[in-house]
Amino acid sequence: MDRIIEEFKRAQHDSSGYDLAATLSPIPPLDDGGRLYAFSKSTNNYAVAGDIRDALGRGRNATFSSRAETDAWVDVFVAYWKAVGDILNAEEAQNRRKFIGNEWTTAYDAWKDVVNALIKGHAAGHFPAWTIPCLYTGGRYLRVFAIKADKQTTDTQGKVAFTDGLGDDVVSSANKNEKLEDTARQLMRIFSLFLGDRSPIEDSRKWGIYYIANLLFKTHFKINSINLSKNILRTLHAQSDLPALERFPKAHQTTFKYYAGVIFFLDEDYIKAENYLTDALVLCHKDAKKNRELILTYLIPCHLLTTHTLPTSALLGPYPRLEALFQPLAMCIKRGDLAGYDAALASGEAEFVKRRIYLTLERGRDIALRNLLRKVYLSAGYEPPKEGDPPDAPKVRKSRIALVDFHAAVRLSMGKDGESLDQEEVECLMANMIYKNLMKGYISHDHGKVVLQKGDKAFPGTGV
Amino acid sequence: MSLPPWRQVQPVQTMHTAYNTVGARRGFEAPQAITHTHMASTTNSMSLSASSEPKPVPRAKMTWSQDVRDYVQRSFDTDAYIPGIEREEVEKKLKSIINNAAETDTLLTTNWAELPLPQKLIQEDRKLALARNSVVYGQGSSLTSNADRKRKSNDALSEGQDRRSPPPWRQTSNQNPLEDRLTFATQEQADRLDKRQRKLHDKSSKYQNDLERRKQRFQSGKLPWSSDGSESRRAENNPDIVPQGPVIGTCQTLEKRYLRLTSAPKPEAVRPLPVLRKTLDLLKKKWKEENNYGYVCDQFKSLRQDLTVQHIKEEFTVNVYEIHARIALEKGDMGEYNQCQTQLRALYSQNLGGNPPEFLAYRILYFIHTNNRTSMNDVLADLTATDKQQPAVAHALKVRSALALGNYHKFFQLYLDTPNMGAYLMDMFIQRERLAAMANIMKGHGSSLRIRYITEELGFESDHECAQFISDFGGDGLFTGTGDGVRVNPKLGVVLFESARAAAFRKVDIKGQI
Repeated sequence: MDRIIEEFKRAQHDSSGYDLAATLSPIPPLDDGGRLYAFSKSTNNYAVAGDIRDALGRGRNATFSSRAETDAWVDVFVAYWKAVGDILNAEEAQNRRKFIGNEWTTAYDAWKDVVNALIKGHAAGHFPAWTIPCLYTGGRYLRVFAIKADKQTTDTQGKVAFTDGLGDDVVSSANKNEKLEDTARQLMRIFSLFLGDRSPIEDSRKWGIYYIANLLFKTHFKINSINLSKNILRTLHAQSDLPALERFPKAHQTTFKYYAGVIFFLDEDYIKAENYLTDALVLCHKDAKKNRELILTYLIPCHLLTTHTLPTSALLGPYPRLEALFQPLAMCIKRGDLAGYDAALASGEAEFVKRRIYLTLERGRDIALRNLLRKVYLSAGYEPPKEGDPPDAPKVRKSRIALVDFHAAVRLSMGKDGESLDQEEVECLMANMIYKNLMKGYISHDHGKVVLQKGDKAFPGTGV
Repeated sequence: MSLPPWRQVQPVQTMHTAYNTVGARRGFEAPQAITHTHMASTTNSMSLSASSEPKPVPRAKMTWSQDVRDYVQRSFDTDAYIPGIEREEVEKKLKSIINNAAETDTLLTTNWAELPLPQKLIQEDRKLALARNSVVYGQGSSLTSNADRKRKSNDALSEGQDRRSPPPWRQTSNQNPLEDRLTFATQEQADRLDKRQRKLHDKSSKYQNDLERRKQRFQSGKLPWSSDGSESRRAENNPDIVPQGPVIGTCQTLEKRYLRLTSAPKPEAVRPLPVLRKTLDLLKKKWKEENNYGYVCDQFKSLRQDLTVQHIKEEFTVNVYEIHARIALEKGDMGEYNQCQTQLRALYSQNLGGNPPEFLAYRILYFIHTNNRTSMNDVLADLTATDKQQPAVAHALKVRSALALGNYHKFFQLYLDTPNMGAYLMDMFIQRERLAAMANIMKGHGSSLRIRYITEELGFESDHECAQFISDFGGDGLFTGTGDGVRVNPKLGVVLFESARAAAFRKVDIKGQI
C-alpha cells in the first residue's frame, strides 16, 4: 500500500500523468512483480478507505489541499483495491484452469467501478486535466477484462443463449459480447467527457480525445460494429474547436490515421483510405514492424485498386508474412494469369477473409485480365505501312482485333475453368473493362471485333 | 394452530338445514348434491368459523375420509420428497387428484392407501412429456434441388413430408380424427365449437381463481407445512419472476392467435408438441388452400411462441422456422424472414437437422442485396469446405463473385438457374443489376445491337419485356427499326443508364435486419 501511494504522491508532485496512471495499473511493474499482491494483502475491506486516507496524509501533511479532491482519489483507490483483489482472484482461477463462478465478470465489474470513480472525479472537476492518462489506463484495461469476461461466459454457456422466459423465439437475443459492448458505452462516456471539456485548450481534457477514439475503434472492430466507428469519425470531423491532429502525440496520430484508413477501406472509399494509411505509414516508427505490417496489409490492396500498381519485393522483403500473402497474387497479375490468380486467391482466402481484404483483393482480377488483354493487343502487331507514307513514319499498332482472339486468350489463361467459356462472356468482360476505364475503345458486336483507341491510349497508364 | 380444512372437519356427514342456503362453493367442481352434504356437515366440527359464527359469505367445507387425509399427510411427509418437485407442484397435483375423485364420485371407492403419491405421479408425467418431446417423427424435410427456377413455398412444404406416409391433408378425415374438428363444414358448426371452447376456457380460469383463493386461505391459516412454501408461492404469483423450468402445455386447440407474452404463460393456453405438430400440418394445408398470409403468419408466430415457452429445441422447431421463413420470403415479408433466419442460424449451430445449406445460400444472397460487405466478409469467414460444395451455397457464391467482377453475363445465367427459393431474393436486386449491366453494355458497344442480344444477356423472358424495361427508364429514343429487327443504339443510352444505375445503387431498403 505504502509503495503505491508513495509513487502516487511523487507523480502528483511532479504533475506527471503517465507516472500517475502507472500507479493505477492492474499489471505489476516489471521490477516489482508482487506489488499488486502485497497491495491487496496490506489492508481489508473494513479498513481500506481509512488506510488510504491515512496514507494520503491528513491536515498539514495532506497531499491535496482540497477535501473534495482527496475524497475523490480515496474513492478511486478504494475501487482500485477491490478490483485488484478480484483480478488476482480471476487470474488465479485461470492459472488453476478452474473457474468457480464468473471470476472475470466480477473483475470486469470491479474495474468498471475504478473507471467510474475516475470519470466522476473528472466530471466534478476535482482532477486536473493532466491526470487523464489514468483514464487511458482505465479504459484500456476495461476492454481487456471485458474480452476475458465474455470469453469465460461463452466458454461456460456455449455460443447460443436460448430463451428462458417470455420470449417469442427460441434463441434469445442476448449477446455474446455483452461486456465488450458495455465497454464501448463506458468509453463513449469518457469520449463525451473529453470532447465536452470547456477549459482553455492548454489545460483541456480534449488532448485525450484521440487516445479514447482509438480505444473505441479497437473495441468496435472487435464487436464488429464498424458503423459506430464511422459516427466517431464524423463527430471528430464536425468538432471545430479541436486542435489540429498534428499537435497531438504522434502515437495517437498514427493509430488514429490507421483506423480511419481501415474504416474508409472497408467502406470502399479507397482514395481516402490510401491518404490516411500513407500518413500512418509515414508517421509510424520505423522499428514498429508489427504496426507497419498492419498498415501495409490495407495499404497494398488500396494501392492496387487506385493506381493499379503492385508492391515491389523491396517493400515486401522485410515482412515475410506480407510477402507470403501478396507475392503470389502480384506475380499472377503481372503475368495476366487468370487461373493462377484464382488459385492464389482461393489458397489465401482464409487469411484474406480474416483480415477483411478478400473482397478488395478479388477485384485485382480486373488488373490481371487487363494485362492479359493488353498482351493480345501487343501480339497483334502493327498495321502494314500504307502506300505514300514516308519510310520513317511511326508504326501504328493494329486497332481492330477480332473478339475470337481475346476469347482464345482468356480461355487459355483460365485453364480448366475456361473450357466452358463462351464468347458472350468474353464480350461482357471486355465491356466491363471499357466501363471501368481499364481499356479504351468499343466492341462491334455484329462484326465480332473490338476497336481500340489509337495512339498508345488503348490501355491507360500502361504505355500503350 | 389450525389444521387444513380437510383435517379439521369430522368425517360424519349429516344434513344441517340451517346452513342450506350457503351457496359459496369454492374450489371444487364436485356435483351439487355431494357438496351440499359436505357443506352441511359442519355442525359437529370442533372449531369451524363457518359453523360457529355465520358470515355474510360463509365458507364451504368438505369432509374427507380418514383414507384421504392419510393420503394427504403422506404426500407432505419429508420422506416422500423427491428432489426437483416443489411443494406447490405437489399441492397442485394433490388438489387435482382429490378434485377429480370428488367430481367422479370416487372419493370413497378409491383405494387411497395404494394410490401413488402425487410427487410420484408428477415424476411419471414428466418422464412421459420428455419421451413425447424426443420422439422424432419421420418428417425430416430434405429438399432436393429442383430445376425450377422459382419455387413456391408450397413445393418446399410438401416435399418436407415423408413420402411414405401421406400428409394429413391427403388422408381421409377418418384417418385423422382431428381433421373434422378443424375445418368446419358450416359456419354454425364453427360457432358452436367456438362457444364450447370459450365455455371450457371460462370454466378453467374460474377454477384457477378458486384455487388461488383457497391457497390464500391456507396461507393465512399458518399451516404447519406452509411456512417454507409461502415464499415460493409469492414468486409464482409475481409476474415479474420468470419461471425457470419449461412450461408443459395442455391446450388441445390447434389454432391460436398470437399475443405477446407479458407474464408467465398458463399451461392451458400452451399447446404441447403433439398438438403443435398437427397445427403445423393444418397451417401447411391452409396456406396451400387459402394463401392467406396474414392468418398464417400470425399462427406461425404463436406456434413459435409455444415452442419457445416449452423449450422445445429439436428438428421440429427447425422445420417450423424454415417453413415460416420460406412463406415470408415468398410474400416478401423481409422482417419476419430475417427473424426466422436469425433463429435458424442459432438452431443450425446446435445440429438439430433441417436444411442449413439452403438458408446459408439465402443469407449470402441477402447480403448481396443489402450490399453488406461486413456481414458478407463474416459469412465467408465462417464457410467450411463442405459448405462450399453444397449446390445452393456454391450457386450463391458464384452469384456473389460474378457481381463482384462485373460479369453480368454469368450473373444472369445463374439467375435463371437458382435453386430453392433463392430467386425471390435475387428478384430484389435483379433490376439494379440489370441497370448496371445496361450501363456496361451501353458504354462498351459502339454500334447498334439487336434487342434479342440484350434480352438474352440480361435474362429477360422476352424481347417485349426487355423493350419495356428500356422504355421504363426513358430509353424510347434508343430504338431503331421495327418488328423483329428492332435494334438499340447504345451511344444514346450511356448517360441515361449510368444515372439510373447510380440511383438504384444509392439506396437499399433494409427491413428488420439484425
